[in-house]
Amino acid sequence: MRGISIEGLSKVFRKGKSELVAIEGFNLTVPEGEFVCLLGPSGCGKTTVLRIVAGLEDKTDGTIQVNGRKVKGPGPDRGMVFQEFALFPWRSARRNVEFGLEIKGVPAERRHAVSSKLLELVGLKGFEDSHPKQLSGGMKQRVAIARALANAPSVLLMDEPFGALDAQTRNLMQKELLRIWTETKKTIVFVTHSVDEAVYLADRIVVMTARPGTVKKDIPVTLPRPRDRTSREFIAIRGEVLAELEAEFEKARATELEKGSVK
Amino acid sequence: MAVEQELKKWFAANWQKVALSLLSISVFIAGWHLFSEYLRATSPSLYEYIPPPAQVLDALIRSFTVLDPTSNLYMTDHIWASLKRIVLGFLLAVGLALPIGLLMGSLKGAEAAGKPIVEMFRPIPPLAWIPIFLVIFGIVWGPVAIVFLGIFFPVLLNVIFGVKTVDPVLVDAARTLGAKRGHIFTKVVLPFTVPYFMTGVKVGLGVGWMCIVAAEMLGGVGGGVGFYIFSKATTSQYDLMFAGMIVIGLLSTLTTGLAGVFEDRLYRWMGMR
Repeated sequence: MRGISIEGLSKVFRKGKSELVAIEGFNLTVPEGEFVCLLGPSGCGKTTVLRIVAGLEDKTDGTIQVNGRKVKGPGPDRGMVFQEFALFPWRSARRNVEFGLEIKGVPAERRHAVSSKLLELVGLKGFEDSHPKQLSGGMKQRVAIARALANAPSVLLMDEPFGALDAQTRNLMQKELLRIWTETKKTIVFVTHSVDEAVYLADRIVVMTARPGTVKKDIPVTLPRPRDRTSREFIAIRGEVLAELEAEFEKARATELEKGSVK
Repeated sequence: MAVEQELKKWFAANWQKVALSLLSISVFIAGWHLFSEYLRATSPSLYEYIPPPAQVLDALIRSFTVLDPTSNLYMTDHIWASLKRIVLGFLLAVGLALPIGLLMGSLKGAEAAGKPIVEMFRPIPPLAWIPIFLVIFGIVWGPVAIVFLGIFFPVLLNVIFGVKTVDPVLVDAARTLGAKRGHIFTKVVLPFTVPYFMTGVKVGLGVGWMCIVAAEMLGGVGGGVGFYIFSKATTSQYDLMFAGMIVIGLLSTLTTGLAGVFEDRLYRWMGMR
């Protein structure tokens, strides 16, 4: 099957004798080309799910398949974009994008062609030789998206990618991401804690429960794009998602108070 | 023309800093002069040890223009001799500290094995090694070994620290882009460690010059500024001794400054400045 399939995923963090069940019985199927947002209270394990799919973290139990192949460690079929941008400060925008290709041993001319095309796709034509220091937050994240696309992955995993940006840049980047998604037809799993962002972007919103994280509700968003944040339908879905989420916020708070440990 | 304009621009932006440095140096020299004059008036026996700045400046000029009868050398020869020791000690120290530091920073086993030895030898002042080094390395290489010790540890510790503080998000990003351990080392860890290494180099150069007097107490084959200071102190020529001390201070400032310029160029080239 093309796309992502996660079955019975669980993750237990062990530190000495104490155990923390972060994720339990998590199931999710994302068909190819779909844009899914993972939403949940902080500490529910949404980032952990993403890191496990990326192969950066080991799972405790369950099966994860991407395009029918079991995930064993990171692979070029899955690109990842981080909240912290994670650009190499000593590399220009172009050489950041070419990083994955260099490792694959792609010859310089071909690398150059790919990085030119991708930087143009993300709207950074003319900034190829700029270094991360010279770029704004939004531009840095554009480079990071281009870099993740360079290995031609079928899946793009995005971990709160716009969380560090100001509100205006954030809205702009959301529009840009939808444009890039339409042009590249990637499968996207996008972790966020912003309900507004999820409703604006996603084909489907997966709301997670408080720890141990599992799927609480799967909400399809069928509104046509571009979406109007002020439309009645948009607000109605926002309300629905928010209601689901708030119940989990309460639960998360209650367990924290019970344990007497507010992080 | 362009250079002149650049200088003008630089001066316009930095004149306050320049003025303040000149002021602080002037205040220091004035204080020194007053203290020396005070000693001349109150206790001539102590005055001998603290000659006034004008006399030291005169001694400094003499050290360059008049042949030193004890060593049969000019100050430029002494500078050249010390510089050679510093450069040799520096190259040996960096050549060893860099690979060892990279290894100890990257591999837990190497760190566990190396740490007790490093921690045991690091606090021993280079001075303490003089008698042993004289026996082991002899009069030519002994001083170089002392300088080596002074530079080795700052470079080693900074490189280890640099490797261990590599941003884990950068490593994650590299892994998702297909990097294996070898790639992560050469394409992430190495460039990340460069600024830490340069800090070690700058600190090490300063310590190296601090060690040169001790190192050349072993004997100054072919002279040396440390040897010069030491020999002038033992023959009570304190104005010349101070002249030697000023030369060491200037040389240390010069080498650290050069390292700073190199560092700046390096960061510019890497795009990090």
